[in-house]
Amino acid sequence: MSVLGVLVRQLLRFGVYAGIQVFIVGQLSLFGLGWCFLYLGFILFLPLRTPIALQLLLGFAMGLAMDISYDTGGLHAAAAVLLAYLRPWVLRLLTPRDGYDAQDAVNVHQMGWQWFGVYLLLLVGLHHLAYFFLELGSFQHPLLTLARVGVSILFTSTALLIVQLLFFPVRRVRS
Amino acid sequence: MRNLIAFLLRFQGVMLFVLLEVVSLFLFVTNSSYQRAAFFNSANTYAGAMLARRTQVADYFRLDELNHQLLVDNAQLRQQLYPPDFMRREADSLPVGRDTLGHIVYRHLRPDPSQALAGVPLPGLAGEGTVKLKKPSALVRPDTLLLGGAKQATRDAEYPLVAARVLNNSLRAVDNYLTLNVGTADGVQPGLGVLSAGGVVGQVKAASEHYATVFSLLHSKMAVAAKIKRDGTFGSVKWPGDNYSHALLDYIPRQNRLVRGDSVVTSGYNAVFPEGVLVGTVESFVKEPDKNFWTVRLRLAVDFSRLTYVYVVHNRPPTERDSLETALTAPEPAPVKPLIKPRMPRR
Repeated sequence: MSVLGVLVRQLLRFGVYAGIQVFIVGQLSLFGLGWCFLYLGFILFLPLRTPIALQLLLGFAMGLAMDISYDTGGLHAAAAVLLAYLRPWVLRLLTPRDGYDAQDAVNVHQMGWQWFGVYLLLLVGLHHLAYFFLELGSFQHPLLTLARVGVSILFTSTALLIVQLLFFPVRRVRS
Repeated sequence: MRNLIAFLLRFQGVMLFVLLEVVSLFLFVTNSSYQRAAFFNSANTYAGAMLARRTQVADYFRLDELNHQLLVDNAQLRQQLYPPDFMRREADSLPVGRDTLGHIVYRHLRPDPSQALAGVPLPGLAGEGTVKLKKPSALVRPDTLLLGGAKQATRDAEYPLVAARVLNNSLRAVDNYLTLNVGTADGVQPGLGVLSAGGVVGQVKAASEHYATVFSLLHSKMAVAAKIKRDGTFGSVKWPGDNYSHALLDYIPRQNRLVRGDSVVTSGYNAVFPEGVLVGTVESFVKEPDKNFWTVRLRLAVDFSRLTYVYVVHNRPPTERDSLETALTAPEPAPVKPLIKPRMPRR
């Protein structure tokens, strides 16, 4: 795929994730506690070999777009940049025995349930912990915040899993 | 030089990470201040237009609820418009006796208002003598709207009451904000108060031409100067950050008596909200051993989860009073004895 094609494709993904987050998913809440961070799918499902600098910049841009929509200043951006920074580390941690193939992508069908589950829960959990405790600015309601983190992890992970099952190819793509 | 470039390339990830984190944390920390450029919040034109479109679509799915809300509002307004039959039922005249022919003599208790007004010569029309006024009441009183139990004038040109639709409203964050579909073109300025039919909602944070962002009362840095309506004890309402239907009333001295169900209204001290607008009602209060004040829990008058229509208010003498009070709290340039003893500024 040409560079331009990749660029257009990623821009489109950015628009779709941000749009669905702001227009539909951001309105929902689970048990009055949790919130769905569907837009994290944009960062989590980037190609495996994306340069780290580009990942960080894309994470920052996505976070800032959310901050503007939800008036949180730089909260989403800070957590999203942290997520983008941690992603290569988690990928390295989860490297299969013989390394990643050229065609490998973050895909539940290709990498298996176990790999995908650990990857998703670890990164989403770290992001949510950072997000909610940063938002609080202190540790004054720890139990309530932990409940929020837990319910949000459940909500976000389920939503992202549904996205994977619906829209990601079962067969490997020949490129 | 080559080493430097190699070093930069090697650690590009870490350095970019630190840089971006610092930028976003700076944006986050300065978010609550008024000095922020209006671009980085939902009042900016693109985000505002997007939220407006979302509201347009979403409204179709809750027409039922909106209609019900309007019906309730209407019922309340009608109740004020048509008071029950037995209210204000007093005779305008009473029989005081009989005259010599045996007819009953009535005495009017109150002179007819239109006749009373017609008798007074108006200063501007002195040359033409007295003029019969058709609707004296429309001239004397401006139209008012009852917001949170306090009457607000709607037709005053200098202090307009701006009706607005809530486009975006968060409840579950620690610092919550609203987005409204009115902006500087409608006369909305940062710092103005926002009320709904139920009571106090928040304060305008930033405004673009057609949209405005509002600090909700559910914001960790928002404090509303309030008083208990029954005895006038002053306090300050703050949101502790847990539940969107409750808030705390601080600084009520321990020796004061409190009653469950008391109304707490704005005191009008911080020049944002007019005096006497309902904030909430006292739900519970406890004396904690290590504090000088009661811990009072309020049930908020406004249901933030179903906020649809709000009003932006201009308080009466805003700029003059604010500048006077800041001048008074600033270090005094010369020991001039003030003519009027200043009130303690409350924040």
